[in-house]
Amino acid sequence: MGKHVVVIGAGVAGMEAAGRLSRNGLEVTLLEKESVAGGHINDWFRLFPDRRDSNEVREYLINLSSDPKIQLKTGASVDKLTRHGSSYLLTTDAGENINADAVVVATGFSLFRSSRKEEYGYGIYENVISSADLEKLFISGEIVISSGKAPQRIGIVHCVGSRDEKVGNLYCSKLCCVTAVKQAIEIKEHLPDSEVFCFYMDMRMGGALYEELYREAQEKWGVNFIRGKVSEASETIDGKIVVKVEDTLAGRPLKMDIDMLVLMAGMEMSEGGSKLAATSGLKTGENRFFASADHHFGSNISNLEGVFFAGTCIAPMNVTETISHARAAVTEVMEYFSNNNR
Amino acid sequence: MKNEGKKAVWSEYQKEIADDKFFYVRSCIRQNFFPGSEVAFLRILKEVLGKDVYEHPCHTTCSGIGYHGDIVPFETAMTVVARQFALMTEAGYENYVPSCITSFGLYTEILDTWHHFPEVEKKIRKNLKEATGREFEAPKNLAHASDVIFKFRKEIAAKAKYKLINKNTGEPLRVVDHIGCHYAKMFPSKGVGGAEYPYVLAGMIEEWGGQVIDYPERRHCCGFGFRQYLVQANRGFSVACSKEKFESMQPFKPDMIITNCPGCPMFLDRWQYVINEIEGKQYGQNGEGIPVFTYEEVAGLVLGFDPWDLGLQMHQTDCEPVLDKIGIEYSPEDKYKLNSLNHSQPKHLVVNV
Amino acid sequence: MDNLFDKLMEDIRFEEGLNACMNCGVCTAICPAAEFYSYDPRKIVDIVQSRNNELIEDLLKSEQIWYCGECMSCKTRCPRGNAPGLIIMALRGLSQDLGYFTESEKGRQQLAIKRTIGESILNTGYCVYIDGISPEFHPEQGPTWEWVHENRVDLIERLGGNYKGDGPGILRKIPQETLDELKKIFEVTGGLERYEKIESYSKKKAAEMNLDFDEGIDNEYFSHIYKTNNGSHTR
Ligand code: SF4
Ligand code: SF4
Ligand code: SF4
Repeated sequence: MGKHVVVIGAGVAGMEAAGRLSRNGLEVTLLEKESVAGGHINDWFRLFPDRRDSNEVREYLINLSSDPKIQLKTGASVDKLTRHGSSYLLTTDAGENINADAVVVATGFSLFRSSRKEEYGYGIYENVISSADLEKLFISGEIVISSGKAPQRIGIVHCVGSRDEKVGNLYCSKLCCVTAVKQAIEIKEHLPDSEVFCFYMDMRMGGALYEELYREAQEKWGVNFIRGKVSEASETIDGKIVVKVEDTLAGRPLKMDIDMLVLMAGMEMSEGGSKLAATSGLKTGENRFFASADHHFGSNISNLEGVFFAGTCIAPMNVTETISHARAAVTEVMEYFSNNNR
Repeated sequence: MKNEGKKAVWSEYQKEIADDKFFYVRSCIRQNFFPGSEVAFLRILKEVLGKDVYEHPCHTTCSGIGYHGDIVPFETAMTVVARQFALMTEAGYENYVPSCITSFGLYTEILDTWHHFPEVEKKIRKNLKEATGREFEAPKNLAHASDVIFKFRKEIAAKAKYKLINKNTGEPLRVVDHIGCHYAKMFPSKGVGGAEYPYVLAGMIEEWGGQVIDYPERRHCCGFGFRQYLVQANRGFSVACSKEKFESMQPFKPDMIITNCPGCPMFLDRWQYVINEIEGKQYGQNGEGIPVFTYEEVAGLVLGFDPWDLGLQMHQTDCEPVLDKIGIEYSPEDKYKLNSLNHSQPKHLVVNV
Repeated sequence: MDNLFDKLMEDIRFEEGLNACMNCGVCTAICPAAEFYSYDPRKIVDIVQSRNNELIEDLLKSEQIWYCGECMSCKTRCPRGNAPGLIIMALRGLSQDLGYFTESEKGRQQLAIKRTIGESILNTGYCVYIDGISPEFHPEQGPTWEWVHENRVDLIERLGGNYKGDGPGILRKIPQETLDELKKIFEVTGGLERYEKIESYSKKKAAEMNLDFDEGIDNEYFSHIYKTNNGSHTR
C-alpha cells in the first residue's frame, strides 16, 4: 500500500510540499485551518522584489496541489499528534482521527499583532495601519485615510514587533525591510505627489534584487529613508499622526506630522504552530518557532522521527525560500520512507 | 480615536490594589504645596469609605528627590525606604500607600532590585539594623494613593454631589489627565492601564462624568526633571516642557487638568502663570488659564467638599472657571479667609480690588 | 588609572540599565531633555558601551551627563531593555565620587542640590520644607505662593495640617530621634560621604575659580553655580 503523508497547513510551504509528495506517488492529506488554501499570500497584492501579482503564485500552487492523490481538508486544525508504532495519529479539532506514515509541519507564521506595540496606537489612532492593511488598500485600488482623502505624507515604520525585547521578539523578521520598500514604491505609484518616509534601523536587503529595489525607491521614486526607530505615535485633533523619531545619522530628534502611518509587522510563530508544539512534543527554539535538528544540514528535521518541517514554521522566509524549503522537506520524507523500507 | 482599542490595552494591565488597612506615607512636596489634598485623601478614605488608614508620626522623606537629584546614593535611599517599611511592620500593617509618585517609583524600583538581586536586600537589612536596630517586612501590597482612589472611584461616584459635567450645556467636561512619569514609565505593569495609556486617572474622570482628552504630548514630562527645576539656572527646561504640553492640548479646549504626581500639578499650574507673565498667553477659554487639580481635589469636589477646605486657594491658576461650569456652590469671599485675625490676600488681588 | 567601565559596573543600576545598544534612537526621540538641550542619550549609551576609558572620562567631566531629567521615559521604550536614565545616574554618581563633576557648569550645581535638598533631608526629615521655599528664590511660584508662604502658619492650620506640631499630620515636626536615625543611615550607607565629597571638591573648585566659598546659600560660589547659565546648552 502507498504511504500516506499528512501536511499540516495549506499555505505556500504546505501546498508546495503536498504537490511534490503526490508527484512522488504518495497519498497526501492537506489540512488547512482556514476555509481556503493559500495562507498569507491570499492577502497580499503584489510580491517583492519584482512586484508580480500574487495571484500568479497562488495559481501555480493551486495547480500543483490539485491532484487526486491530495485530499485537502479546510477548516481543520490539529489538536493532537501522537506516535503509534511507526506511524502517527492526528486528531483534528473536529475530532477526526487521521493516520499518517509521515507528517510535514507547514504551520507557517502569524503576523505580529501590531496593537501589542502600544506606543504606536494601532487599533486606537484611526490612521495607523499595518503592512497587511495596506495590501488590502492596494487590492481595493484606493489608498485613503479616515477622512476619505488620499494621504499626503506617509510614514513607514520598520521592525514593528521584531528586534524588540519589549515585545519578546529578539530576531529580525527579514522580510519587512523589503516589504517596506515595495510598499513605499507602490504608494508612490498610486499617489505620485505624496511624500513617503521609511523609518529604519538597518536596511536588511539581503535577497536577490532587494538592494536594486531599494535603490530604485530612492532614485526613481524619491522615497525618504530616515535612520531611526520610531519611538511613539500620537494623534492630533485633525487626525494627523505625530511621529517621534531620532534621525540618528544627523543626531537630531524629529517630531513629524504625517497623514498615515504604516507598521511593518514582523513574523511570529503561528498560533497553530504553538498549539501543535504544546501537544505533540515538537521542540521550539528561543524565538518560539519550531527548532530544527540542525541549522545547516537538518533544517527540515524535527526531534520526532517522521515529522518534518517546511517553510516559515521554523524561521522567517520569503516565498522563494519557502518553496525551496518545502521541496527539501519532501526529499527528507522520501529518504525517510526508503530507509524505513529497507 | 478608537476607544475600544484603548480599552483592550487597559484590560491587559490589571493591578492588585488592597482594599483596607492602609499604611499611609506622605509626600514632602504635596505637604508644602497641596496640603489640602492629603487631608482630603484621609477624609475620603476614613469618613466617606470607612477604611482603616494609619500614619506613623516618625516617617520621613523617602529621600527620592535627593536620589533623583543624584546627591543621595542608591544604597542610602534604599535604607531610608527600608526604615519606612520597618515602621509599617512595627505598626502591624502590610499595605503601603505613598502619596508621592517619586516615592512610589522609588519603592517599585527598590522592590524590583531586591527581587533581581537578593544580596542587595540582605545588605540593606544589615544597614538598617546597624543604623537603627530596626527590621522590616516588604509590603504585601504597594499602591499609589491614586490607585486607591481609582479602586474606589465607583463608591465615590455613588456618593457624589456633583458630576464633571457642564451644567449649562449638559456636556461632559473635557479633562486632560497627566500621569507622573515615575508612576508607570519605569515599570508599566505596576500602573493601572500600563505606561502608554494609563487608566488610573482616566478611570476616575469617566466614572465621575467627564471626558478624557488625549492629545499628542499627553505622555510628555511636565518638566520637573529634578535638577532641572531645583537649580534656578535650569528652569528654562522645566517651563519649556510644560509649554509644549499646553500648546499641544490647547486645540482640544480642555476644561481642566488632573494629575497624580506631586510636582506636576505645581508646574502645570505655575508655568501657566509664568508664560502669561512673559508672553501674555493663556491656554484656557475666555482668556483664562486651564485649572489644574490633584485627583483628591477632584474627588473632594465631586463629593461636595468645600473648595477652600481642599486648598484650591493655593493654586496660582484660578480654579473658579471649573467650579462655575460644574455649578459647585462656594463662597468667593471665603477664598482667602484664614481666621478672625488674619485677612490677608495675595498681592495680585489686592492690586486689582 | 582606574578602569572606569569596571567602576560603573559596580553600580547596580548600571548593570540593570545597560545591555547592548543598537543606536536606534528610540530613547533620544522620546527624551524631553534631548528636545531642549544639545543632548543625545543614545550617544551616551554608545560611548559607555565602547568601554573606552578616555571617552568615558571625558563624559564624566562633561555637561552631557547633567541634562537628563530622570523622567525614565527612555526606559519604557528601549527595544534592547536599556535604561539610559539609569546609566546616567550611575555616571553622575561616579562623576561625583571622582570629583569630575566640578569640571562642568551643570555638574557644579550638585553643590546647590546638596545644600538645599540634601541638608533639608537631614535637618528636617523633609526633602523640602515650606519655610525654605522662599518667594525670593522662587519667583515663578507667583503671588499666591507669596501669600501662602507669608501666612503659612494660619493657612496650614485652616486646612487641617499640623505645622511643626507633634504627632502625625501635614508638615509635623519630625522628632529628633528620627532625624538621628536618618543621619545614622546616611553615615552607614555612604550618604554622608557623598555629601562630604561634593563639599570638598566644590571648595577646591571655588578656590580655582577665585570665588568666595562658605557654608549655606549666601556666598559667591553658591550664587554662581545656582544662577549661571552660559547659554550654550540648548539646541
Ligand atoms: S527585515 Fe528590516 S524591518 Fe524587518 S525586522 Fe529586519 S531590520 Fe526590521
Ligand atoms: S533606545 Fe536603547 S538601543 Fe536604542 S539607542 Fe537608546 S539605548 Fe540604544
Ligand atoms: S530619563 Fe533622562 S535620558 Fe531618559 S528620557 Fe528622561 S531625560 Fe531623557
